[in-house]
Amino acid sequence: MGKFLLLAFRNVFRNRRRTVMTLLMVGGGVAGLLLAGGYFAFMTHGLRESTINNGLGHLQIFTADYFRRDEVRVLDTGIENWRQVAANVGSVKHVRGVAPRIDFYGMVSNGSKAAGFMGSAVDPNAEKSLGFVTNVVSGRDLDPRPTGEVEALIGVGLAKSMSVKVGDGLTILAMTSDGALNGVDVQIVGIVNSGVAQLDARYIRITLPAAQRLLSSDRVTNLVIGLDATEHTDQAYAEILPRLHGMPQELTLKKWIDLATYYKQVNTMFNGIFLFMGVIVFFMVLLSSVNTLLMAMMERTREIGTMLAMGTPRAWIVALFMVEATLLGVMGAVFGLVAGNLLGALLNSSGLHLPPPPGYTHDMPFKVLHVPAMMIGSSVLVVVSLALASILPAVRASRLQISEALAHV
Amino acid sequence: MSETAELISVESVTRRFPMDHSYVNALDQASLRVCAGEFLAISGPSGSGKSTLLNLIGCIDKPTAGCILVDGVDTSSLKPNRMTALRREKIGFVFQTFNLIPVFTAAENVEFPLLVQGVSVGERRKRVAGALESVGLSARANHRPDLLSGGERQRVAVARAIVHCPALVLADEPTANLDTKNATQLIDLMHDLNRRLGLTFIFSTHDARLLEHTDRIVTLCDGQVVSDAITEGGSHGQVLASRLS
Repeated sequence: MGKFLLLAFRNVFRNRRRTVMTLLMVGGGVAGLLLAGGYFAFMTHGLRESTINNGLGHLQIFTADYFRRDEVRVLDTGIENWRQVAANVGSVKHVRGVAPRIDFYGMVSNGSKAAGFMGSAVDPNAEKSLGFVTNVVSGRDLDPRPTGEVEALIGVGLAKSMSVKVGDGLTILAMTSDGALNGVDVQIVGIVNSGVAQLDARYIRITLPAAQRLLSSDRVTNLVIGLDATEHTDQAYAEILPRLHGMPQELTLKKWIDLATYYKQVNTMFNGIFLFMGVIVFFMVLLSSVNTLLMAMMERTREIGTMLAMGTPRAWIVALFMVEATLLGVMGAVFGLVAGNLLGALLNSSGLHLPPPPGYTHDMPFKVLHVPAMMIGSSVLVVVSLALASILPAVRASRLQISEALAHV
Repeated sequence: MSETAELISVESVTRRFPMDHSYVNALDQASLRVCAGEFLAISGPSGSGKSTLLNLIGCIDKPTAGCILVDGVDTSSLKPNRMTALRREKIGFVFQTFNLIPVFTAAENVEFPLLVQGVSVGERRKRVAGALESVGLSARANHRPDLLSGGERQRVAVARAIVHCPALVLADEPTANLDTKNATQLIDLMHDLNRRLGLTFIFSTHDARLLEHTDRIVTLCDGQVVSDAITEGGSHGQVLASRLS
């Protein structure tokens, strides 16, 4: 077996130029997959963390009714005893904090102009404790201490369309939980930029007590749970879920992935692109390798005939070609891994940035993550491609007529 | 097997090859018997059927008609895997163009038939050393074929052919790519191995100068055996004469 492998190994380097070309092709495929996959991984990882840290959190608690039916009145599917729930959940391992939220809608006016808004009421202290980032581009964040004025943050797009700035006043109008129309004057303390233009065009954030007064309700829409690391989501989910049973209201626990619709779409798209690239690389390696291996087989026709004449089983000839191709695949994969990781490191240190994607206002840093699973997957892909590519030449070689092969020129 | 036991029996063998829209008979009703331990040359002009006959005896081709017995086994009815096993165990080959594996050293080339037979490493090492010594190439054991002269390469091929102690060594034009000196040396080497080890050699050649080094000369022409002569000093003259009569 050792000599047989030695023969295969030496045969790989028989035609060095051709071997180098094959290694470049195979290695290039692996490196390409690593770079593209590493970039996609960076994008999805960044999107995941920004989605979570921009307010989604790792887990969220809702009432079961929230997903069963539409609200007839404001917050009628909200959580009543949310303080008790938050205290109960807050002691679970890996939980960094719990933040109550109210989502509400209404109209905003500056006296001369009115627009619809999407409101979010938060506890600024809880938000900060969870590390949620509010990108205040002008002014400051909400003050958690109760003051006489109702403070508000508004999106950069809404500020522009309403022609307001920090320090200006606005009136926001919303339906109360009783069905009445209520209004509150707010003072703009900051202008925020979430990076999503459509959201920024309609966004208003006020404190939780202010929203509860506006909506005449003590309920909250949901409780957002922040963990110390995204990787602990499943573990925390499993520990929190039993604690929600036995509450006066039927509650539902959702993981961030269940709520991150945009993230899932982007992830699916990247996975699709990566799969497509993988298919292209697979066929590229397969077809060019078949050609290369057929050439090698033709060149060695007489040698194969000699081996068969000496009583070498035909299965050995098949195995010889497949082992050679697999060795080529392994070497190509190693070359590709080294090249891909080096190029990735080079790109990461170059500080490249890409223009903002559609709907975003920030440009994107160009980074490549080194993902072990992707390295293994890409390597397996090319090794399997080479092994498959060798089947046709190997079978052809094993079926050669010995007398004809010996007479081959 | 005794020295005079019949090793090869070629009985009215015809080998027909398709050519364009007709056929050509490379061998036509050829018959031949070879005893164990013989040193036999098959001569004849190009296209006379020498290589075809060797291919048939060597079990790498099958006759269109007639039968061939190798050591008592009728090869015309053998299944491919049995043919392979027969070649592996009983026959050694020497080719005109040496046909050494270029990425193997001389010793590794000689070792290959033993590798295929599944011989143990220690036994392989011992037999390879012996085979290379018998062809006078012990000092060149670790050289690759491209570093050997034509004569040396063919001697390696001879060592490869005899290393597994076959019943029969077939050599198709083994001297065609050698100069006269190397060709004569090679024939003498094969003859010496024939005498020392009792190996049966059948080789084809169209070089008349080499025929005087053989015991028996079978001449082919247009696929037919036209003469079967015992040379001076031929060791089996009487036996063969009786078989051919």
